[in-house]
Amino acid sequence: MGVTYALMEPKEGLGEVAVVDRAKESVAQKKARFERDAMQFTGQLYAAALRYTKDPQDAQDLVQDTYARAFVAFHQFEPGTNLKAWLYRILSSTFINTYRKDQRRPQLSDGELEDWQIYEASSHTSDQGRSAEDIALDSIVDADVKEALAAMPEEFRITVYLADVEGFSYKEIAEIIGIPAGTVMSRLHRGRKLLRESLAQYAKDRGFNRGESDV
Amino acid sequence: MYELVRISCEEVLPSVILFIDNELPDENQYLIFTVHFQECPPCCQVMEHERTTIALMKKLLRDSCNEEAPAGLDEKIRRQTDQLAGQYQTEFFSQTTITELTVDGYTSIQVTQQYTEQVRHEFFSDE
Repeated sequence: MGVTYALMEPKEGLGEVAVVDRAKESVAQKKARFERDAMQFTGQLYAAALRYTKDPQDAQDLVQDTYARAFVAFHQFEPGTNLKAWLYRILSSTFINTYRKDQRRPQLSDGELEDWQIYEASSHTSDQGRSAEDIALDSIVDADVKEALAAMPEEFRITVYLADVEGFSYKEIAEIIGIPAGTVMSRLHRGRKLLRESLAQYAKDRGFNRGESDV
Repeated sequence: MYELVRISCEEVLPSVILFIDNELPDENQYLIFTVHFQECPPCCQVMEHERTTIALMKKLLRDSCNEEAPAGLDEKIRRQTDQLAGQYQTEFFSQTTITELTVDGYTSIQVTQQYTEQVRHEFFSDE
C-alpha cells in the first residue's frame, strides 16, 4: 500500500524542501498544527522583518506574507527539523521576491563582495589600536545600534543579524539566504567589523556631545 | 585518537572567527587551536579580545533589536490562515489492484490499495 501526496509548489523559493508524507492530516489539523508550532515565532520574525525592510508597516506585511506562504507549504516542513530556520528561509525569499524587487537597489556583485572579504587578520600587529573602540562602546544606546545596523549594506546587515541575534549557525544562515557557508563566514566577519567601527564612531560623537544629543 | 599537529600563527589567525563561532569542522581542529592558544600568548590575546568584543556586540544587538510585534498581527495571521484553509480543495482517489499469482500450483491473491490525495490551491498563482 503506497500513499503519495501531491501538491502544487508555491511559485518561488521553496522548491528544495523535501516533500514528506502527511497525507492523513486534514486541513483543520494542519491549521491547528501550524498555529501551535509556527505562530510562536511571529514576534521574532517581526523583529527580523524590520531588519530586512527597515519600515514597520512593510515589516508587518512581510511577516503576514511569510505566514501565508508558510501555511500553504507547511506540508513540506518535516516535523522535528528546525521550524524557525524554515520560516526564516521563507521570510528571506519572500523579501527578495516581493519587496526588494520594487526597490531596484543595486546589489553588491560577487566581485565587490570579494573585495570586502580580504582579511586584515594575518598578523598580530593588525589588531593593535582596537581597544579604544571597545571602551567607547559603553556609551552606545539602543537607537545607535539600530541606526548603525540599518545603515549597513543588506548583505552584511542580515548575516550579522541572523548570526548574532538569532544565533543561527553558518550552515543555517547559508540555507536561509541561499549562499555558500564560506560566504557566510566572510560576510559575518566583515559585517561585524563594519558595525563595530560604526558604533565606535557613534560612541566618539556621543563623547564629544555628551548631554546635547537627543538621539 | 586525535592527531595533534601544530600549526602556525598565520594558519590560526584567519580562522579565529571559526573557533569563536564554534564552526571549526571537527573536534580535532578545536584541539589543535586550543593547544596553539595555550602555547602562543599573542594569538591567545587576539582570540580573547575578539571573543569578548563579539560577545559585547551580540549583547548590544540583542538588547536593541527586540521590537515587539504590533498588537493584532497574530490575529491578522490567524484570519489569513482561516481564509487560506477555506480555499483548499481536497480530492481523494482510491485505486484497488488485485493480482492473482500462481506458483507451483498454489494460487494467492494479492490486493493492493493505493490512495492518492491531491490537494490543489490557487494561491500566488497570479504573481
